Amino acid sequence: TSKMAAPARKTVEFFYDVLSPYTWLGFEIMCRYQQKWNIDLKLRPFYLAGVFKSSDNRPPAMVPAKSQYMGRDLWRLADMYKVPFKLPSNVIEVLFIKGSLNAGRFLTAVDMNCDQYLEELTRQLFLRIFYRDEDITEPASLLSAAMKAGIPEDLAKQLLSTIKDQTVKDRFQQTTQAALDYGAFGAPTIVAHVDGKPKMFFGSDRFELMAHMLGEKWHGPLPELAKAKI
Amino acid sequence: MADADKKVIELFYDTISPYSWIAFEVLCRYRSRWNIDLRLRPFSLAAVVTETGNSPPGRVPAKLKWMGKDLMRQAYFYKIPFRGRKDPNNDMANKHNINVMLLLTAVTMDCPQHLESLTRELWLRFWSREEDITQPASLEAAATAAGIPADQTAALLAKLQDQTVKARLTKTTQEALRHGAFGAPTIVAHVGGKPHMYWGSDRFLLIADLLGEEWLGPLTELAHL
Repeated sequence: TSKMAAPARKTVEFFYDVLSPYTWLGFEIMCRYQQKWNIDLKLRPFYLAGVFKSSDNRPPAMVPAKSQYMGRDLWRLADMYKVPFKLPSNVIEVLFIKGSLNAGRFLTAVDMNCDQYLEELTRQLFLRIFYRDEDITEPASLLSAAMKAGIPEDLAKQLLSTIKDQTVKDRFQQTTQAALDYGAFGAPTIVAHVDGKPKMFFGSDRFELMAHMLGEKWHGPLPELAKAKI
Repeated sequence: MADADKKVIELFYDTISPYSWIAFEVLCRYRSRWNIDLRLRPFSLAAVVTETGNSPPGRVPAKLKWMGKDLMRQAYFYKIPFRGRKDPNNDMANKHNINVMLLLTAVTMDCPQHLESLTRELWLRFWSREEDITQPASLEAAATAAGIPADQTAALLAKLQDQTVKARLTKTTQEALRHGAFGAPTIVAHVGGKPHMYWGSDRFLLIADLLGEEWLGPLTELAHL
């Protein structure tokens, strides 16, 4: 009997910054669909502030009515998707002042050295900022997230010491540029490679369309496959 | 099914907005699947944007480029004959105006049975066939194509600048603003005695959840086009 080769997995690149609340929701959905779709999910930590600057865009919540709506929208979506979610108590300080440069570089260092931990470290950082209202900028914060992600302490400390190295900075910048080259202007930026062509999607609300283009089926938010437990 | 059980869904829309076309077609199709009472509410997106300090989304070049692709993909997915325009930013600023929304408002007041078909015809003219909708003759052609009798069309066109029509458009727009609108489409679902506002044409899964209904996908078999 001849063995049919399994159809090749389609690569889906997920460009993200842990500073973006909608990205937290999209990240959880995307991780659940790794088990359902014939895809090879590549997590690509990038620098949203850099993307905004290069594309001459601004964070979305500069319009008061829109900002108010987004708070409700995020809560409703998180509730339906069963993703643990709470906005930080000082949104301006967390999202616009403290930023995510160290977190992004740390994720990059993990991606470069031990990417088997990248998904869980990403999750732990998102839970810090968008569930427990905890810092993600200080070394102690990053270390705590790393250990909750299962990274051995000495490895975590060693990677933390490299986040200002040129190799890590360069890789972080390259990932950000790759997203910009795909046409990114915000987060998440998801690039599904279909028939050798990259299809870029912006936002966490294009999964049904993405399923259609991947030749897969959309089953909704799949809360039963949730990895982040409340 | 008793009408009293039907949940009221208001769609605040402006024909300048292509994403509003998607929401419009989806909700029209879902009237026969969900227990809803769909109310079409033409409003002024320009007024909402100005009032809330918002800005049109096409200001960012990379975003405008993506939106063009996104709309073509969604058009294919939902079977809506959206074809875009060669210069969308310019055309939205210069080839669409308040008279279109005043006409739809007058129809709402005088012959609401034609509101759906005229709304669709105006979208087809502007976003599918790249035809003019600024000249009275163009609006007349749209009304005729939508099945509005000639004398009714003449009466509607004659009253576009009436205070009553302008007041009604203003009132509808202000209602949307009170619901927290800052863009289009703005969908307000009335459930449990409370209004629930959604922006955009990509929240149908949430709306289905709120209504206790099931999302059945694009329902292209129910496409009017």
